[in-house]
Amino acid sequence: MSRFFERYEADPSHFFDEVIAPDGIPRSHYDKLLHRFGQFSIDDVKARREVVNIFFRNQGITFTVYGEEEGVERIFPFDLIPRVVPAHEWQTIEKGLVQRITAINEFLYDIYHTQKILKDKIIPPELILGSQHFRREFVGVTPPLGIYIHVTGSDIIRDKEGNYLVLEDNLRTPSGVSYMLQNRQAMKRAFPVLFDKYKIRPIENYPQELLRTLQEISPNSRREPNVVVLTPGIYNSAYFEHSFLARQMGVELTEGKDLVVNDNKVYTRTTRGLERVDVIYRRVDDAFLDPLVFRPDSKLGVAGLVNAYRKGNVTLANAIGTGVADDKVIYSFVPAIIKYYLGEDPILQNVPTWLASNPSDLKYILENLGSLVVKAANESGGYGMLIGPESTIEQQESFAEMIVANPRNYIAQPTISLSRHPSFYNDTELYGCHIDLRPYVLYGKTVTIVPGGLTRVALKRGSLVVNSSQGGGSKDTWVVDE
Amino acid sequence: MLSRVAESLFWMSRYFERAENTARFLDVNFNLLLDLNKITHIENPNYWVALILVTSDRERFNNLYSEYSAQSVTDYLVFNKNNPNSIISCIGLARENARSIIESISSEMWEQVNNLYHYLQNITPQFVHNDPYSFYKEIKNASHLFQGITDNTFSHNEGWDFIQIAKYLERSDNIARLIDVKYHMLLSEAQSQPEIVEGSEDIIQWMAVLKSCSALEAFRKVYLSKIDPDNILRFLILDRTFPRSINFSVCAAEDALWRISGSSRHRYVNNADRLIGKIEAELSYTAMEDIYAKGLHTYLEDLEQRLVKVGEQVHLTYFAYHTPDIESSDIAEALPFTGVAGGRANWSQAQQHQQQQ
Repeated sequence: MSRFFERYEADPSHFFDEVIAPDGIPRSHYDKLLHRFGQFSIDDVKARREVVNIFFRNQGITFTVYGEEEGVERIFPFDLIPRVVPAHEWQTIEKGLVQRITAINEFLYDIYHTQKILKDKIIPPELILGSQHFRREFVGVTPPLGIYIHVTGSDIIRDKEGNYLVLEDNLRTPSGVSYMLQNRQAMKRAFPVLFDKYKIRPIENYPQELLRTLQEISPNSRREPNVVVLTPGIYNSAYFEHSFLARQMGVELTEGKDLVVNDNKVYTRTTRGLERVDVIYRRVDDAFLDPLVFRPDSKLGVAGLVNAYRKGNVTLANAIGTGVADDKVIYSFVPAIIKYYLGEDPILQNVPTWLASNPSDLKYILENLGSLVVKAANESGGYGMLIGPESTIEQQESFAEMIVANPRNYIAQPTISLSRHPSFYNDTELYGCHIDLRPYVLYGKTVTIVPGGLTRVALKRGSLVVNSSQGGGSKDTWVVDE
Repeated sequence: MLSRVAESLFWMSRYFERAENTARFLDVNFNLLLDLNKITHIENPNYWVALILVTSDRERFNNLYSEYSAQSVTDYLVFNKNNPNSIISCIGLARENARSIIESISSEMWEQVNNLYHYLQNITPQFVHNDPYSFYKEIKNASHLFQGITDNTFSHNEGWDFIQIAKYLERSDNIARLIDVKYHMLLSEAQSQPEIVEGSEDIIQWMAVLKSCSALEAFRKVYLSKIDPDNILRFLILDRTFPRSINFSVCAAEDALWRISGSSRHRYVNNADRLIGKIEAELSYTAMEDIYAKGLHTYLEDLEQRLVKVGEQVHLTYFAYHTPDIESSDIAEALPFTGVAGGRANWSQAQQHQQQQ
C-alpha cells in the first residue's frame, strides 16, 4: 500500500469509508490508484498540486463568498485524490435518478393540472397550496413536451452501510457542473499516467448534451432554436459557471437588461436590432424573473417574460414553479410520489425525515434538537440549518422558537454520517473527509446523465457541510468500467 | 453582438485610455516641475491646479483636499476611489467591464487588465513619490500592452471596432482638454508676469505638452527645433499622421464607426456617423487662422462638446436600443468627461446574490 495510505485511519465503526473496506483492505476499484500514489514522493504530489493550481488560476475558476467585502473571489478548493465509482454502483444511481426525476416531473405536471395526487390524499393539499414555491398562476400552463425540470442536480450521500441515499433534489437552478468539467481537465493534466490505467467514462460532452436538451424544448420548430443563458450578473457567486456554460455551448450569455419582450415574444437587444429568443436557460430564481408578475423591485428580470412564456413563445429551463417539488417537506413524499405515478418501489432511498408540521414529529424534533439536523424547507446552499451535535444550547433554543412559530417551514433529519474519503489536507497527510455526490440530470426528449458528477468534500476537519459557500471543496469523480 | 457586450467593450477601452492619459499628465507635470524649480518658485500650485482643470472636476477635489500640491493631486488622480476618474478607479472599472464580458474577450486581454488591477492594489503613495517615472511608465506600458494584445488576440470585427471608437474618442477629448488648459494657464501667467511669456519657461511648458502626448520627437521631425506655440498647436490638433493628434484620433474613430455601419464618405447611416464625419471633414479643411479667428479656447470647447455628442449618438444607436432609463444621475456624475452613461449600471448587487442550490 502507498506510503500515504499507510498512515491513513479509516474509522469504519463510525463511517463508511470509500477507499478502505472495514477489514482494512483497500476496495479493489482503488487498487491502481493506491499503487500509483505509492510511487509518489511528497515532492511529486506538490508538483502536481502546482499544475492543478496554475490550471485553475489561469481559467479564472473562482466563486464569490457573500458577506465579505466586495464579494471576494476565491479559487474553489480542489482535492487531488479522485473518487472512484465502479460501474455497477453507478448503474444503480443512474436508474434510481431516472426513476426519481421522471416521477417528480409527472408530479409537477399533475400539480399544475388536475391535482389528482391531492384529490387521492397522498399528499395533504395544504402542503402544496401553501408552499411559497407553488405558482398558482401556472395551473393549466403546459410547457413543451410536458417537461418542467430540464436540469437537476440531486445530492446523493452514503450512509454507514454504504447505501446511496438522496438528500436533496435541487430542481430549480442547481450549480456546480462547471467544476465537474474543470476538475476533470485539471486531473488529466496532473495525472496522465493514472488516467491511462483506468477506463474512465468521459463527461466532456455535457455542454453539448445540455444544448441538445435546450434545443429539444424549443417552442418553435420552424427555425434553428436560439438559446441563451440568463445570469443574474457578475456579482452572482456562480457567474463563472454561467459564463463558462454559455461559452462551451456557443450561445449568448445574457442579463435581464439584454432581453426585451415585445408582443409577447422575447428578443435580445443587439447592435443590429432585436433578435428573437426561443429558449432561456435561466439561472435566475423565479421571484426575480419578471417584475410585472413576481418581485416588482427585481432588476434582474425581464418585464413581460412570464406572459411570453405563458403564451408558449419562449421556453424557460427550468420551468417556473418547480420549487414546489424541491421543498424539503415535499421531499419526504418523493418515495410515495414514485409509487403513485410509476407503480414502482424507489431504487434510491430518502434520508428519514420528520416534518415539524406533523404534531407527533414536532414533539420528537423539539426533544431531540441536539442530535438532529434541522433545515428550513425553502433554503438552499447550507443556509438556515441547525446541525444538532455541533450546535450550542442558545442556537437550539432559537431554532426551537422558529420551528414552533412556523412548523410548515421546518424539517429534521438524523445526523447522517456521510461517507468519508481520504483527502489531502496539506499535501503531506491524508485524512478522511466527508463527501457527497451531485450528478447532473438532463431531461429533454429523454433523460440523460453524464457519468459521475461533482463530488463535494468537506475539507474542514470533521465538518459535515460540503457547500462551497460554507468552505467545502471538490474532487474529480470517476465512473470506471472494471 | 449583444448591445451590452458592445457597451462593455466600449467602456473597458475608454477607461483604459483614460487611465493612460491621466498617467501621462501626471508624469509630465513631475518632469516639468523638476525643470521649472530652477527658474521659478518651487511647488507652484498652478501646475497642479492645471491637472485638476484637465479632468474638470475641481469641485469634487476641493471637497476632499484643502490645497493643490504634488501630494494631494497625485493622491486624487492616482489613488482616490471617490474620484471616478482616478487611475485606480478607471482600471477598476475597465476590469469590471471586462469581467462582465469575460466570455467575449480573449483570455489574454482579461489577464492583462487583471494584472494591472492587482499591480495597482499593491502600490503605495510612497512608491509613487519615490519613483514617479517608473510608476507612470508602468501604467503607459500596461496600456500599450493591452492594445497590442487586443490587436493580436481579438478578432477585428464589430467588437474590435467599438474598442477603437472608445479609445480614439477618449484620446481626442483628452488632447483637446490638455491644450485648452495649458493655453489658458500660460495666458493668465503672461498677463501677470509679462516678462516671462517669451522666456524659457514658456518653451519648457510647451515641450511638456508635447511630451505628455509622446509627441516631442515626432514634432521635431516635422518642425525641427522651432518650438513655438503655433507649430505645436498645428501639430497636436491638425496633424493627420501622428497617433496622438486630434485629427488622427478623429479619423480613426470615424473609420471604426463606418466599418460597423457600412457608411462611407458620401453616405451616412446614422447620426454618430454623420457627426464624426462632420468633425473629420472640418478638421481636414481647417487652418490655424480659422482656429485663431474663432479663439482657441472657444474652438477647443466646441470640439469637446461635439465629441461628447458623438459618444451620445454611439450610445443611442448601438447600446440603448429600446432602453428607456439607462442614464441615472449617479452614473452621469461619474463621467464628467463625456456626460454619457458609462460602465455598468450600479444597480442592486444584492439581488444578484441569490442563494445557490
